[in-house]
Amino acid sequence: MMDQASILIIDENHVRATIIQDGLREAGHANVRWLNETSNLLQRIADIDPDVIIIDLESPNRDVLEQMFQVSRLVKRPIAMFVDQSDSASIRDAMLAGVSAYVVDGLRKERVKHILDMCIQRFDVFSRLEEELHEAKTALADRKVIERAKGILMTAKALSEQDAYALMRKTAMDQKRRLIEIARAIVMAGEVLK
Amino acid sequence: MKTIRVGFMPLIDAAIPIAAVECGFAEREGLEIALVRETSWANIRDKLIHDLFDASHMLAPLAVSTSLGIGNAKVPLAVPFGLNANGNCITLSARLYRAVEEILGHAPMDARQSAQALKRVIDKRKLSGAPLINFAVVFPFSVHAIIMRHWLRLGGIDPHNDVLFQVVPPPFMVANLSEGVIDGCCVGEPWNSRAVESGVGSIVAFGADISRCAPDKVLALRDTMAAQEPETIYRLLRAYKAAAHWCQDRENQGNLAHMLSQPQYLGVAPKTVLNALSGTLAVNRTEARSMQDFLVFEGDDINRPDPRKARWLYAEIMTGLHKPLDEAQAQEAATVFRPDIFDAATGNNALPESHDPIGLKFGPAFDPDDLQAYAGALMQAAE
Repeated sequence: MMDQASILIIDENHVRATIIQDGLREAGHANVRWLNETSNLLQRIADIDPDVIIIDLESPNRDVLEQMFQVSRLVKRPIAMFVDQSDSASIRDAMLAGVSAYVVDGLRKERVKHILDMCIQRFDVFSRLEEELHEAKTALADRKVIERAKGILMTAKALSEQDAYALMRKTAMDQKRRLIEIARAIVMAGEVLK
Repeated sequence: MKTIRVGFMPLIDAAIPIAAVECGFAEREGLEIALVRETSWANIRDKLIHDLFDASHMLAPLAVSTSLGIGNAKVPLAVPFGLNANGNCITLSARLYRAVEEILGHAPMDARQSAQALKRVIDKRKLSGAPLINFAVVFPFSVHAIIMRHWLRLGGIDPHNDVLFQVVPPPFMVANLSEGVIDGCCVGEPWNSRAVESGVGSIVAFGADISRCAPDKVLALRDTMAAQEPETIYRLLRAYKAAAHWCQDRENQGNLAHMLSQPQYLGVAPKTVLNALSGTLAVNRTEARSMQDFLVFEGDDINRPDPRKARWLYAEIMTGLHKPLDEAQAQEAATVFRPDIFDAATGNNALPESHDPIGLKFGPAFDPDDLQAYAGALMQAAE
């Protein structure tokens, strides 16, 4: 069953916005739009005239939306932040996930809750992806440092690649420190001694 | 050690919350503070009311509007400490500033002259059928919006009918000025200096030209927190009082500028921060201006929350919304500002209060006992 409520996503993060749009479409929301250009935001919102607005909390533009709560000549229908007073935990979940929803007056609570829950889920998925990406990047950067440290040891102590690596490992174990820390120290020393 | 979560926006007036941590004033009180940087005042409000923050740096009018349920669900807050007075500027776009200069035949000399000249620009535009001028402030309930309206009235401009207001977050102000989306704004530093440096705007008034000690940012808590953990709050306030004194000391300006400029706080050049701290700013391409009380962190008028200031904020919020005042609501607003907590924490023996809690420099006099008269006079001044 398709839900015809028009949903507007305001998110400057292209990847996250796509993940959310896909999620909402899969859940049967056909009418989803995404705004990434936010100058003159209120006018753009007024032109689109959505039933539900989903905005990421990192965006300073949340303060722009606050104007809509006053009766503004820009907004055609009264709009309010979606707050389920009976469910404080879900508000906290949304905030922790980093998303906030605004709804046009009169839209049924269950419908909005369904949309918001989906967005929270997708925001969490995105955060996990981002974390994994960050970890992968760090691992890659660490490997580069270890390679450089190995090279420095090989030249300075005329060691084979294998021995240079073994020496770093042993030093790390003896000093109860991580391999990457030892490698960083060697690279730093290498810079100074150059 | 007790840990509390304190939200802040990356602004120069977050100096006290930041210095309280960085200079060890909080630690001395046995408090560990987790400072959390935020991107919007709406986030700050929501995280405070939903218990993700214990306390926060907040716009003074927002503490009052939230407590009264104006613009959002009603959640009573307590303000036990004022963080600063002034520090904002009114900046016009290069194009609008040129129009003001053309009318006068020279650069405006002061806030009054610029507002009066703007009135003539607006009248001329009306005759030619040009669209209304667009001004931006940082939040609907902000001292910025209040100051902007006072300045407009100073020139005989009706803030409700002669101009349009919109909210633009500070980091986007300069771009909006340069793209012509807005014609002017009221914002804190460093955004005015940025506009002047890049040639897209000129400063026509300092906040301190409008009032001497209007509350700008405050420390806000849920009032349940104030009731449940008074000892923690007392410690926090003692740390803030020490930090306020340190921040105000001109000897520390260099250190403070450096501290605030760090990437985890404001992330801007120390020199940019120093402009506002020293009160010396380039106001247009050729002139600079100095003002001793451009931004003030310490003073009995500033740190000790005066309920009369909360009444003033209430009157300003309601006239801003074009809504009638309600005395019961005004009394409720007054209870948001809590000198009792401040006094209990600092051992302050309720000093004789200053005659005038706001120090407006022109326009209708503020009488905290007769808000109706004040609001009425404001509305009339606009006609």
